[in-house]
Amino acid sequence: MTKKKNRSMIQRRLIPTYIFLIICSFISVFPLYWMIAAATNSSLNVARGSIAFGNQLMVNFANLKNAVQGTLWSSMGNSFLYSIVQTVVTLFVCSIAGYGFELYHDKGKDRLFGILLLAMMVPAVATMVPLYGLVSKAKLLNTVWAFILPGISTPFMIMMFRQNSRNFPPDIMEAARIDGLSEWKIFFKMYVPVQKSIYAAAAVITFMNAWNAYMWPKVVMSDNRAQTMPMFIANISSGYTVDYGMTMLGVLFCSLPTMIVFFILQKQFAEGITGSVK
Amino acid sequence: MYIHGKWLAHFPFLKERVDIVEKKKKGMTLAKKQLAAGWLFLTPATILIFIMSFYPIIQAFITSFKTGKGINIKFADPLTYNYSRMLQDVIFKTSMKNTFLYLIVEVPIMLIFAILLAQLLNNKDLKFKGLFRTCIFLPCATSLVSYSLIFKSMFATQGLINSILLKIGIISENINFLGTASTARAIIIIALIWRWTGYNMVFYLAGLQNIEYSVYEAAKIDGANGWKTFWYITVPLLKPTIVMTAIMSINGTLQLFDESVNLTSGGPANQTITMSHYIYNQAFGQGVGNFGYTSAMSFIVFIMVAILAFINLKVGDTRD
Amino acid sequence: MKRKLLSLMLVGTMAASMVACGSSADTATTDNASQDATTDSAATETEAVQSDDENTLTVYAWDENFNIPALKAAEKDYQEVNPDFKLEVITQSQSSDVEQAVTLAAEAGDYSTLPDIVLFQDHYFQQYVTNYPDAWQSADGADCDWDGLGAEKLSYSTVDGTHYGFPVDAGTAIFAYRTDLLEQAGYTIDDVTGITWDEFDKIGKDVYAATGKYLLCMDGDGNDLFYMMLQEEGVSQFKDGEPYFTENETLVKVFNTLVTLAQDNVLYLANDWSDYTDQAIQGDMVAGVFNGNWIIPTMKQVTENSGKWEIVPAPTLTGKPGYASNGGSSLYITANCKKTDLAKDFLAYTFGGRSAEDGQSITYDEALLNGGVIGTCAAAAESDVYQQGVDFFNGQPIYADIVEYTQNVATVEQSDYHYQARTALATALINVLQNGYEPDAALEEAETNLRFEMGL
Repeated sequence: MTKKKNRSMIQRRLIPTYIFLIICSFISVFPLYWMIAAATNSSLNVARGSIAFGNQLMVNFANLKNAVQGTLWSSMGNSFLYSIVQTVVTLFVCSIAGYGFELYHDKGKDRLFGILLLAMMVPAVATMVPLYGLVSKAKLLNTVWAFILPGISTPFMIMMFRQNSRNFPPDIMEAARIDGLSEWKIFFKMYVPVQKSIYAAAAVITFMNAWNAYMWPKVVMSDNRAQTMPMFIANISSGYTVDYGMTMLGVLFCSLPTMIVFFILQKQFAEGITGSVK
Repeated sequence: MYIHGKWLAHFPFLKERVDIVEKKKKGMTLAKKQLAAGWLFLTPATILIFIMSFYPIIQAFITSFKTGKGINIKFADPLTYNYSRMLQDVIFKTSMKNTFLYLIVEVPIMLIFAILLAQLLNNKDLKFKGLFRTCIFLPCATSLVSYSLIFKSMFATQGLINSILLKIGIISENINFLGTASTARAIIIIALIWRWTGYNMVFYLAGLQNIEYSVYEAAKIDGANGWKTFWYITVPLLKPTIVMTAIMSINGTLQLFDESVNLTSGGPANQTITMSHYIYNQAFGQGVGNFGYTSAMSFIVFIMVAILAFINLKVGDTRD
Repeated sequence: MKRKLLSLMLVGTMAASMVACGSSADTATTDNASQDATTDSAATETEAVQSDDENTLTVYAWDENFNIPALKAAEKDYQEVNPDFKLEVITQSQSSDVEQAVTLAAEAGDYSTLPDIVLFQDHYFQQYVTNYPDAWQSADGADCDWDGLGAEKLSYSTVDGTHYGFPVDAGTAIFAYRTDLLEQAGYTIDDVTGITWDEFDKIGKDVYAATGKYLLCMDGDGNDLFYMMLQEEGVSQFKDGEPYFTENETLVKVFNTLVTLAQDNVLYLANDWSDYTDQAIQGDMVAGVFNGNWIIPTMKQVTENSGKWEIVPAPTLTGKPGYASNGGSSLYITANCKKTDLAKDFLAYTFGGRSAEDGQSITYDEALLNGGVIGTCAAAAESDVYQQGVDFFNGQPIYADIVEYTQNVATVEQSDYHYQARTALATALINVLQNGYEPDAALEEAETNLRFEMGL
């Protein structure tokens, strides 16, 4: 009885929180609703800002399938391929680096980290020409490598793992070493499992960045057969006359995978392993 | 040990010393091993950054001392020509002002908002958490094309926002939000907050998982209210994450490009243009690029980000 | 970890199946699609934008509703004389993608990444020849009648007497009026034909008062009105390679005219390009449109206004009929093309107008029918397709009219800084209208900024 009362009291006290979250969610989701509604409308109605549902969904879909020489599905496939490869490789490379920087930290490594951090501070426009030259000379244009190589090791991801390793107790590592575990075993058997929430968050972010990457892929994936989803969208959304209904349907296709990946992984990073490091 | 043991039976008084030596020996190889492993862990990432980032950056740095376009590019005379040219560049100065305005207004609001949301969504008793989290994350997963189209459509002179404000009676005639400097800047800031709050929330949520729930329980018993727990427990424990998101947001905002290009095209009359947008225009936006000048401007951006990030690390990133 | 791995694998399988789908869907359009799309993109490296087949040419182009149908038409046309011929179009999102591709190839010193042919914006071509001369191949010696392709158009693609490009679309400007709205204000189409800008202002005020619609609109961010209005008078924004603003009486007059038009609610200045096309034109805010004829497909989106539009030459400062051109692009052979003879012959036969000699050209007819692309080739304009009346424009034979306008467009001094000049003037106009500048001061600042940008 008291338990039940207690619970309803807690829920009642949470009412302002619910209201606040509902407002935030509404503001966040409204454009998505608009996008879905627009995907069912004719181009003219979208341009005029109509937010009601229309009956053009199938027409838009038929147009979308034929757009850019019918490359909708291959663009989707390419984007999946590149993003997944990018995510897996990035997570591995950056997590071991972040782990190394934090848990073996000394003056030298801290200084090196500071230097690596500088790499992200120069606007991409400045490095695009030399980087393109590099990739072009290595004969990697239009391959998955051209897409992922510049993005595998980012100071941001290393930093994310470094900062979040700070709560990993060194005593545990010491104990493990006395137990005879090798350094790699400590990483795989002890660090990786307890950092599940960080891996999940990093996976979401990396996947999203890879999936939405546009400026770099555009210059290295010039062949239509290697094009990604955002390039496909760019191809249908510029020009003298844009079919907005079709474009919005395409955009919906382009936005869904990231949302799904987020939805799958959000439980992992938000309700992960509270208190398991003991 | 066993070998020693055999001898030690004869010389019991040596036992203590041998133990110390043993410990020392073992400790040294372990430390060496540890050190090697530490460097090994960070080698792949470091090599990649050196090839994929530092090599192009050095190339760009050399280019920043050159002038001319295409085949006519050559070292400038004086070498710092591009850097001194910036001082006279009215549009670059405008872009700098705009960018810093976005930085100062947007980053604090967004980060505070993100921590707050993460804290609310970390409540064990809250229902529909997954749904709320996904909803709030959605904006940054939405493709740029649709988001800019929707924002422009909403804030158009004949758009939704205008008609709502008219109906409520806040305004008496339609406002050209994106065509007026002050409102256009405000919209860019709103758009940035809308798009990136959920993104930053992800890091805080992940970071909060490392804080044990018992800490909060203890605080509750001590009589701390919601705000007090937030400021005195959550914020300090999230400090590493806050430092990281602050650096990332500063970096992202000083290199802001998408919103300026897609929402306002930098207009009206360059009143909303950002540094990166201006640099891009000079490099790829208006015919053959002036790469010497764009590289020089990029290094100014680099210096500004580096200084702010350095301050951030010095102030916030302490191991205690 | 296991669950995450599982979901990743799941997504991976999804991706793989989609790739498989993609390659089968490709079969209809691309000849290479029989190969799996992934192995294809991973295996064929820099050759991806080149074809080994001796009868296949590759081309970079943008706009699936405009330029690409024109290229498809040309492919079909040339197949009449060379049945094995194939044109592989590699879609780009916009003209700047092609410019960027050429820039990056040139800066990397490796042209092997370029296709055989590129579609290129006219206003940009000259500076790309000056700065990257090795990126192009001359089109001289192509078997076509250059004189029949429009002198003003060719002036963009000819450098020091050497031909480089084959024209695709004419940028010839049209001034379209909504006759029904004019009528509501008590005017007919004749009242707006051959008038001065002052008269136009008066009519515009009446139209706005009667209907609430603007008689003229433009993208205020990249304002093309200056260039077009000056070209009508045969004047340029440049003189001897330098900005010609404050000393240029015609430009000052044009500038003041635009200030007046905007203040009188005759001219609507949109915030940017999409505001111009979506809100102003498709949102039915205007009674008049003045721009390159490529704006017609955008206007046609508003089907309920079909039959209400008509086209006449634009107003001028003096009242004589005004002719101008804005935008447009041409096809150029890149340094990477190893099949130069084939490329030249293909382009000369199609866009060069050899197939149009009998007054019927599949290239030009189908480009017009499928993409709304109006060429500059005089011979092609004889065809029935060009002569037909267009319902949307009240049965007016606008294509023939536009080709006729094309012959009257004056050639004016061009500059590598064409678009920078346009932006500078657009900024000056906004500064007067919004930020309280005096016109003289705004123009002076624009000239100073442009000179700074040009390094003068």
